Amino acid sequence: MSAGLRALLVAVVVVLAAAPFGLPPFAMTLLTEALILGLFAMSLDLMFGYTRLVSFGHAAAYGLGAYACGFMLLHTDMPLLFVVFGAALLTGIVAIGVGWICTLATGVSFSMLTLAFAQLLYAISFKWTSVTGGSDGLAGIPRTAGPFGFDALTSKTGFYYLVLACLVGAFLVCFALVRSPFGAVLRGIRENEAKTIALGYNTRLYKIAVVAVAYALGGLAGALYAPFAGFANTELLFWLLSGQVLIMVIVGGSGTLVGPILGAAFFMLMEHQLSSWTEAWALYFGLIFIAFVLFAPQGIWGVATAWLQRSRNPTRAS
Amino acid sequence: MNTLAFLLTQIVNALSQSALLFFLGVGLTLIFGLMRIVNFAHGALYMLGAFVGYSLTKWSGNYWVALAVAPVVVGLFGAAFEFAILRRLYRRDAHAFLMVTFGLALVVGEAVRLTWGPDALQVPAPDLLAGVMFILDEPFPLYRLFLVATGVIVAVAIWQFLERARLGLLIRATSQNADMASALGVDVKRVRSAVFGIGCGLAALGGVLAAPLVTASNGMAATVIIDAFVIVIIGGMGSFLGSLIGALLVGFVQVFGNYYLPDLALAFMYLVMLAILMVRPGGLLGKEA
Repeated sequence: MSAGLRALLVAVVVVLAAAPFGLPPFAMTLLTEALILGLFAMSLDLMFGYTRLVSFGHAAAYGLGAYACGFMLLHTDMPLLFVVFGAALLTGIVAIGVGWICTLATGVSFSMLTLAFAQLLYAISFKWTSVTGGSDGLAGIPRTAGPFGFDALTSKTGFYYLVLACLVGAFLVCFALVRSPFGAVLRGIRENEAKTIALGYNTRLYKIAVVAVAYALGGLAGALYAPFAGFANTELLFWLLSGQVLIMVIVGGSGTLVGPILGAAFFMLMEHQLSSWTEAWALYFGLIFIAFVLFAPQGIWGVATAWLQRSRNPTRAS
Repeated sequence: MNTLAFLLTQIVNALSQSALLFFLGVGLTLIFGLMRIVNFAHGALYMLGAFVGYSLTKWSGNYWVALAVAPVVVGLFGAAFEFAILRRLYRRDAHAFLMVTFGLALVVGEAVRLTWGPDALQVPAPDLLAGVMFILDEPFPLYRLFLVATGVIVAVAIWQFLERARLGLLIRATSQNADMASALGVDVKRVRSAVFGIGCGLAALGGVLAAPLVTASNGMAATVIIDAFVIVIIGGMGSFLGSLIGALLVGFVQVFGNYYLPDLALAFMYLVMLAILMVRPGGLLGKEA
């Protein structure tokens, strides 16, 4: 990442931090949700973009985080700040088991196993009524204040800053991760797993680790969503969400971390704008998505950076 | 009600459920075996079949016309989609297909909602099949028995088609080794278009057949696609016999599970699938992991 890009990202974060002073409450709600979805999409990028582990059940992480957070907020007095990270941690721990089983398979079978897990959780969320509230879900989830009377997070603006902080923090963690030797092994698995094994790496262990980290961050996103929306329902575990988050990653640009966040924002904007123009927004969204896969597989961020590089170095192609 | 008769009723229910699931699963598995594509739009095409069937029944006043024509219409649509879009992607990663077909699922789902409206539509069963038949003094809906019979006929027909017809031979050859088949003069592109069309047509056939039983509704795509995946995964992707076994297994687990363990039926299906995949990552009759 060049110095110019880094400056650009810092500028974006500054603008986002100033947003509550300039935007109406309605726009802030949309922005908060976009950032939460951005975190969710970025977590999938670790698996999809960097390791080529195509998860078709990433909603499992989101829903698990949301339900765990919602349950703890509803039934205990623990403050929001602890509960959110506790839920993320819990999701990560569960993901070690999920990763252990799913990595028995590779390729399409891996995708289908992740899907099976998400659907299993979806089925459980319907039936385990005492914990999940069944088909009604959990409603009226509070943003509990504390610790020591710290109540800045109970307001919408305060909560927005928590979301922003989580996104920036998670981005820095992911960024460090993918540039570390660990990240190099992940890319090795993506490009040629057999060769990586031949180099002496226990690739399965690396895959389980990246699944755990991706799920923990996805769980963090879900854990933020529950107190943001005030509810958690079975939709959060449904396969449609898993498909949508994959779309966000691809449309934004996989393997870039920044791209999926843009993809999530684009998705939110599309859903919102298209649905205000036309009733058939899903129709146009589907067409836009197909066009992206066909003509711009590198996504928004990929196209943008390629274009920037070309305009800066017109002599050097690529 | 005596136990034997009860059991028989449940078995017929499970078999008719399996037949409907089989139409979906076999199309999905044929497409995967040949093209390595997981067709996410399969559920949407099944739904499209049901709605096209509704319109054809209404227009012609005859369910049999709908049953014959709707699968052909949807099959041609599928072949056209393969020709226009999927053909550009064979050099790309497998996940490009997953995403394009996911996009297609969104488009078809929305187009159906706009064309036919959000309400569930009743498709009446033909008079011939509307009644019941008494076996051991138990009433059996004729329509369910008809579904079981259709399932058997279609399964045998596909099997014979794959074994004996020239196109069936080409399909088997291409799914074993596309490059070799191409080198021997098979027009692989046309075989692929044909298989995608046939698979979509089978999904639509399932939709038309399901419509009198469950009504044509916007929600029918989302639930059924996952069932179809489960079948194909359990049976082994690309295996014809596997999809048959998978459909029977899922049909019986759903019907009997719903009766004996209503709380766990849904979860049980996924647990069966996980257990099978842990022992055989490629599915029961699958070749690869």
